[in-house]
Amino acid sequence: MNDKSNKPTIEKYKQFIQEGKFRAFKCSDCGAVIAPPLGSCYSCGSSKMEWTEISGKGRLVSFTVIHVAPEEFQDEAPYYIAIIELDEGTRVTARLSGFDPLKPEDVKLGTSMELTFIESPKGRKYLAFKAA
Amino acid sequence: MPLNNTNIVSAAQTKFGKLEGITIREMFAEAVDKATVEAGIPKKDIQAAFIGTFIPEMLIHQGHTAPLLIDYAGLRGLPATRHEAACASGATALRAGIMAIESGLYDTVLVAGAEKMTSVSTNKVTEALAAAADDEFESSIGLTFPGVFAIAAVAHMQKYGTTEEDMARVAVKAHYNASTNPLAQFQKEITLEKALTPRYIAWPLKLFDCSPISDGAAAIVLTSNEKAKEYTDLPVKIIGTGQASASMDLCNRIELTSFESSVKASKIAYEMAKLGPEDMDFAVVHDCFTIAEIIASEDIGFFKPGEGAKAVREGITARDGDKPINPMGGLKAVGHPVGATGVKQAVVIYKELIGEAGKNQVPKYDTALMHNFGGTGATCVVNIMRRADA
Repeated sequence: MNDKSNKPTIEKYKQFIQEGKFRAFKCSDCGAVIAPPLGSCYSCGSSKMEWTEISGKGRLVSFTVIHVAPEEFQDEAPYYIAIIELDEGTRVTARLSGFDPLKPEDVKLGTSMELTFIESPKGRKYLAFKAA
Repeated sequence: MPLNNTNIVSAAQTKFGKLEGITIREMFAEAVDKATVEAGIPKKDIQAAFIGTFIPEMLIHQGHTAPLLIDYAGLRGLPATRHEAACASGATALRAGIMAIESGLYDTVLVAGAEKMTSVSTNKVTEALAAAADDEFESSIGLTFPGVFAIAAVAHMQKYGTTEEDMARVAVKAHYNASTNPLAQFQKEITLEKALTPRYIAWPLKLFDCSPISDGAAAIVLTSNEKAKEYTDLPVKIIGTGQASASMDLCNRIELTSFESSVKASKIAYEMAKLGPEDMDFAVVHDCFTIAEIIASEDIGFFKPGEGAKAVREGITARDGDKPINPMGGLKAVGHPVGATGVKQAVVIYKELIGEAGKNQVPKYDTALMHNFGGTGATCVVNIMRRADA
């Protein structure tokens, strides 16, 4: 039963982020690190998952700056959204921190990044990365 | 398995744009009438209906649209099913129609799509469209649809040297083609300078890189070889169809400069038709954003990866070029009423293939490809069509 309560879920994954922690799913059979969560491992096909800590280090794969945002995010625009490849091999979609949203030309793909968090005006935490 | 029994015998669309004072059922009925009675096909011949609508629940607070729409259009009582695959809703409805004819279950079916988008605010539309991306992990941190394609654009620019000007040229071409299309939302040419106006939506995508918010409907009639002769001497045959899916999340894609669902769906459709990109006279692709057309032109095999922008620069994809793309103006300038788009693409191909595209007629028109893309590219449908006498 203890095992069951430790079974990774999407709700807990998102809750960790709100607590300023980043925990990924890990395939119990082949060890592949999976984030965002998936119900099945694409490396080996197993559906057995456990939690894992991640290094928080990675590199910038691509990004955009959102100028026209949905209502909920309007107060935050313009803001960066990026794809980050973690050292563990998996990729996540996250915000960027510490870059000027009006100077996207200066942002270089491949830049080494490290984990941080951004808090929205409404107090919601986003997974974010800054230059390492 | 090859397709050998599916024929398009009529096809029509309403005007696309802000259709003030016209509800979704009225525009739907107009498209159906144009594709049936006005084309000499009695409504009583239609045996089933396959309908594409994306998200009327959020846009006009209406679900269960298939029976609702066909009822207003005079087809009450028929089996009618709604198909939803975001922006590929229309083409998935079309595939259901193809399967219905090929299976022999029906002789004649209606495939139609519609969306009413302009009766709510732009913010509301943005929110509704965002529902086509992964709400748990991407939309919820503020990623938008233009944002998805902007991320692809940045990767394409980095890897292949594609520029903002290249993307702007796609917009200029779309507006030029739509300027002679009376059913287009924008019937006005734009200059390269105007297309480059730095009003960023999601950097590096600007206002003129984006397709507009539109209302509209489109309808086609599919029928068997036997029945087709009753309606026309010049049917268009659907000879290949492919569909594929991919991860909803952009971060789960290995490649950002190509959409794997497009590549897979194209491969399936080409193999089924026993043809290749070199056999296509032109294509209608899903240009929801200018970069989407450039990438699609590579994914369908018209150009090598990274050479889509060059093809635009050199005029190869222009209406009178060697490989015309979106000769009537595409989503970009004709409009993008989401559920109607996949069906409208088939309407465009039908009109071009039977030589009735008027001022927008391409020079060679025996065989063509349509590519309809859903959401972040999580769905793609590709169909290959050929005029029956070609």
